[in-house]
Amino acid sequence: MPPTLPDFSNSVNLKYVKLGYHYLVDHFLTLTLTPVMIGIVVEIVRLGPDELLNMWNSVHFDLIQLLCSSFLLVFIATVYFMSKPRCIYLVDYACYKPPVTCRVPFATFMEHSRLILSNNPKSVEFQMRILERSGLGEETCLPPAIHYIPPKPTMEAARGEAEVVIFSAMDSLFEKTGLKPKDIDILIVNCSLFSPTPSLSAMVINKYKLRSNIKSFNLSGMGCSAGLISIDLARDLLQVHPNSNAVVVSTEIITPNYYQGKERAMLLPNCLFRMGGAAILLSNRRSERRRAKYRLVHVVRTHKGADDKAYRCVFEEEDREGKVGINLSKDLMAIAGEALKSNITTIGPLVLPGSEQLLFLLTLIGRKIFNPKWKPYIPDFKMAFEHFCIHAGGRAVIDELQKNLQLSAEHVEASRMTLHRFGNTSSSSLWYEMNYIESKGRMKKGDRVWQIAFGSGFKCNSAVWKCNRTIKTPTGGPWDDCIDRYPVHIPEVVKL
Amino acid sequence: MELFFLLLCIPILYLFFILWKRVNDSRDQQCYILDYQCYKPSDDRMVGTEFCGEVIKRNKNLGLNEYKFLLKAVVSSGIGEQTYAPRIMFSGREECPKLEDGILEMEEFFCDSIGKLLSRAGISPQEIDLLVVNISMFAAVPSLSSRIINHYKMRSDIKSFNLTAMGCSASVISLDIIRNVFKSYKNKFALLVTSESLSPNWYAGNNRSMILANCLFRSGGCAILLTNNKALKHKAMFKLKCLVRTHHGAIDESYDCCVQKEDDEGRTGFHLSKTLPKAATRSLVDNLRTITPKILPFRELLRFMVVSLVKKWNIRHGSSPKGAPQGPIKAGVNFKSGVEHFCIHTGGKAVIDGIAASLDLSDYDLEPARMTLHRYGNTSASSLWYVLAYMEAKKRLKKGDRVFMISFGAGFKCNSCLWEVTRDLGDGNVWKDEVHRFPPKTLVNPYMEKYGWIQDEDPSTFKIPED
Repeated sequence: MPPTLPDFSNSVNLKYVKLGYHYLVDHFLTLTLTPVMIGIVVEIVRLGPDELLNMWNSVHFDLIQLLCSSFLLVFIATVYFMSKPRCIYLVDYACYKPPVTCRVPFATFMEHSRLILSNNPKSVEFQMRILERSGLGEETCLPPAIHYIPPKPTMEAARGEAEVVIFSAMDSLFEKTGLKPKDIDILIVNCSLFSPTPSLSAMVINKYKLRSNIKSFNLSGMGCSAGLISIDLARDLLQVHPNSNAVVVSTEIITPNYYQGKERAMLLPNCLFRMGGAAILLSNRRSERRRAKYRLVHVVRTHKGADDKAYRCVFEEEDREGKVGINLSKDLMAIAGEALKSNITTIGPLVLPGSEQLLFLLTLIGRKIFNPKWKPYIPDFKMAFEHFCIHAGGRAVIDELQKNLQLSAEHVEASRMTLHRFGNTSSSSLWYEMNYIESKGRMKKGDRVWQIAFGSGFKCNSAVWKCNRTIKTPTGGPWDDCIDRYPVHIPEVVKL
Repeated sequence: MELFFLLLCIPILYLFFILWKRVNDSRDQQCYILDYQCYKPSDDRMVGTEFCGEVIKRNKNLGLNEYKFLLKAVVSSGIGEQTYAPRIMFSGREECPKLEDGILEMEEFFCDSIGKLLSRAGISPQEIDLLVVNISMFAAVPSLSSRIINHYKMRSDIKSFNLTAMGCSASVISLDIIRNVFKSYKNKFALLVTSESLSPNWYAGNNRSMILANCLFRSGGCAILLTNNKALKHKAMFKLKCLVRTHHGAIDESYDCCVQKEDDEGRTGFHLSKTLPKAATRSLVDNLRTITPKILPFRELLRFMVVSLVKKWNIRHGSSPKGAPQGPIKAGVNFKSGVEHFCIHTGGKAVIDGIAASLDLSDYDLEPARMTLHRYGNTSASSLWYVLAYMEAKKRLKKGDRVFMISFGAGFKCNSCLWEVTRDLGDGNVWKDEVHRFPPKTLVNPYMEKYGWIQDEDPSTFKIPED
């Protein structure tokens, strides 16, 4: 019988050793300076108040010297504060909540599938199997045009969907923040697969009568990570333009992109992508410091396009019958893992505490010099972040990341529940997840959030936010009416 | 006290260091064009009016009225006989384009232009830090920026942006992104790729306002290499002085004048409404009002202010006739005092003439734009760069000259920017071998006579001629 009890006590000891080590390294500066400070205080107390007074009087101060030095101090302080990079605040954001009439429960979806693909029972079977294992719930939504049998993806309907999603999210954002349309200085809209002329950004400008000197940008084709690319662009612009507001609108318009053929690999996106959108208000105004929800700390972008396999793994193409759809390759998970590793290599040194970095460095040196067989040390990101928002690309993506980053079920709960309730809403899913964490009352001041998104090309982008104030529930978001039902247990396979 | 002064030195030195760093950083924030390469498609893609006539005839949905309208448009558009069309027009499949037609069209363009640009500049693709691609009417997954990154194996930490649907003024919008990113990062290279995708956007119906777009756009594109590294200042061609964007989307009439939508039969096309010139003028005036104070010398602004005050005073005291015809909106300012060359978006003859009237330009100033329209047609966002290349080929650009670029776009946008030439230029780019033939003796379309008769035909007895 293997002795289990000694192992248990060993592991407890090890845990305390680890904790002690981390505490020591992270608070190194404090721990070294505190004795010095104590020494100085003891010395001052020893000297006695009379001697201190004598020392003070012996230092003569001319008026001019006093003025000069105080002026110098003020000047240096001003220059220092002015040359710091501006703080980018996320004032608030709003997610689109689709109406109940657009719901697509499993039964509806399968009935549609059977009617449209009546000549291809194998494809219907495939869709059923995907849906069973997808991790989606019964309340995800598709736009009205797709509810038709067969779907009616006209440009009119696509514009209609865009208007409903974007305008609802914007209206909600205006209401929550009290922002006036005339105060928007920068507008960035990202929607991957639908870009009518005039652009969606022009559509927003027209609807809300925004100013004529607004800086608007319309990004498209950049996949599910486009939301973070837009945040990156907004950050660069806000560094250059002082006292400005930037609105970022992330969405994906499903209507024109519903695959109408029968190739199996291309039917997969139909099962996963759902209606959704988010509008985010970023600002660099000092006055927003009080009420902003988050502060942007880092944005790191990684593009694996140079590798052909990575480039081809999410590809829009025509099938044999000429119908356009998105082909997802089987290596998607492996490529996502690789891209994540690249991204982590850049973001690690920026966010990990000193103790983790030291360990990583030591193991790296050890592997290089002593023994290459040493296991590579995977830094513990749970020490750097309190919350994780992993793009709800699909169950497999979340599982893969949970394994790679060694996260617990609670860390990925936001992602899994968003996938269940809203489906894969592409670039806006990160904001639904953020809202989930807030609605659960878990977001406290000082918490750090890591948003990770993958996209076609193949990109892996991540953003780090720091919570600026404890967020009270209810948040006025899309989870308000159903947060009490969550978390739900999502079985491996839902039998249909 | 000596100790005190000695200690004072430290913060003073630190202060100077900080000030010097800030000045140094601001010098690094300038945006320079190192080189640019316009796209000249192969000769087998050349189309003339005759070919256009054939293509128009191919469309079974068009009747006599539409023929008349279109041929009149093509013949009087200012577009010459040597413009380029996408390959799909030659295989006759323009009404049913496939996804790969659009992709191949773009790949042909950027393999040519970007390849030439990078090899001439001596920069390897791995040195590019920022890639901005703007191609209005094409959206695919993965984006064209990803395609370029894959083709040239660019670095994984590249910043890429893919702009779409921003119309013919998207070049200047991409420049805005590059300029802003350059202010936050030092010593970066940026690649701007601009073009227009024509293959998937042919309109197959017969709605009058939509078929015009078919005949006006031509193939073209440009790749531009920019940097903010001041060590390369001596190699640079142009320096960006200022950039102004105006967006009139808030005005419903401006927003609706250029819309992509479906006609009554469900065919997607580009609707150009009759209010387009008015919207263009309005946004032009607004844009000029903002950029003029930034580019003209103080003396000229002062003079303009005095003149306009005098005019107002005159009108108030009734000494000038109130009912005087306004004519085309004249700015009243002498733009030549601050700008030597004008790069006008070649949207069409009317656009160029309209801007000429507003800015009070001579034929010499308009020659580059008119010649570009004649030789390359309306290549949408990249047209500005062809006009610039013409000026360079004609050896007009000398060090210290200022070039004013202005373009319009759907939405309705008017964007403009001012460049300063940093060294004498004379390379010529795509115009190199033929610029001596320009301007030609006559710009009249040779098919005016051949197709002029169509104006007199009676619709009831009209039969398509066999020739």
